[in-house]
Amino acid sequence: MRIEKRQVEGQPLTVIIEYPKWNESVDNLIKKIGRMDITFAGKSEEREVSISIRDIYYIENVERKLFLYTKDEVFRLNVSMPEIESRIYDTSLVRISRTCIMNTDYLKEIKQIKNSHLEAVMDNDEKLIVSRKYLSDIKKMFRKEGL
Amino acid sequence: MKRIIRDTCILSSLMIFCVFVISIRWVGMTDEIRLVLLLFGLSFVIATANYFLDEYTSLSIIAGYAVKYIVATCIVMLFGFIVGWFYKSNFWMAFIYVGIVLILAYFIDAVKTKRDIEFINSRIKDKTT
Repeated sequence: MRIEKRQVEGQPLTVIIEYPKWNESVDNLIKKIGRMDITFAGKSEEREVSISIRDIYYIENVERKLFLYTKDEVFRLNVSMPEIESRIYDTSLVRISRTCIMNTDYLKEIKQIKNSHLEAVMDNDEKLIVSRKYLSDIKKMFRKEGL
Repeated sequence: MKRIIRDTCILSSLMIFCVFVISIRWVGMTDEIRLVLLLFGLSFVIATANYFLDEYTSLSIIAGYAVKYIVATCIVMLFGFIVGWFYKSNFWMAFIYVGIVLILAYFIDAVKTKRDIEFINSRIKDKTT
């Protein structure tokens, strides 16, 4: 596979895939790239914003309302948790508790804190509670990344 | 080693299953088969209770196991009284049976959690360096 890249100013990120014949590898590659470009429609102070999966730090369910957190902003989501889960399959987002989904790309560290609770520290120093039940899912994600 | 242990467990489960099916088919329900089937039933009830505890509570590892100890002991005692394992004179044995199982599970869980955390943190470190 030949990889070419070039900077084109003023244009959105564009990926062109040339293939001699359509096969499973091409299909997988396109699906993988497509998953990097998932967006969610969030609401903040009455304005609708499209948020890329790459900018999400975590998504939290607070009293049956979903909130999406980026590095320094919060948005309200109008989708359900199962709907989000179906869209984040094979991305860097993983469920870490019954109410929270975290982006492992921004994970700085997992710590065992007082009383053996688990805590995820994000690279903006936000701390999230990790349920022990989901620790193996986070591990699986890192194991997959390492392949 | 991990793979050998896993394969041993799978193989022995299949062997137990085959022996059971053939025995039930040709010999009928013996006391031993009934006991193992009851243990499966009991495990299912405890595993279901544990699932809901894990899903709906966020306790520390020690508090979590303490709650599980109480719940599992109650289930074992109730189940034991229903199927005739326990009587008024020996029901306290449920505390010992459940205690031993949970102490072992606690130590395995604690070691596994520590290893998982170390693995994740080492991968994050590799990624950032």
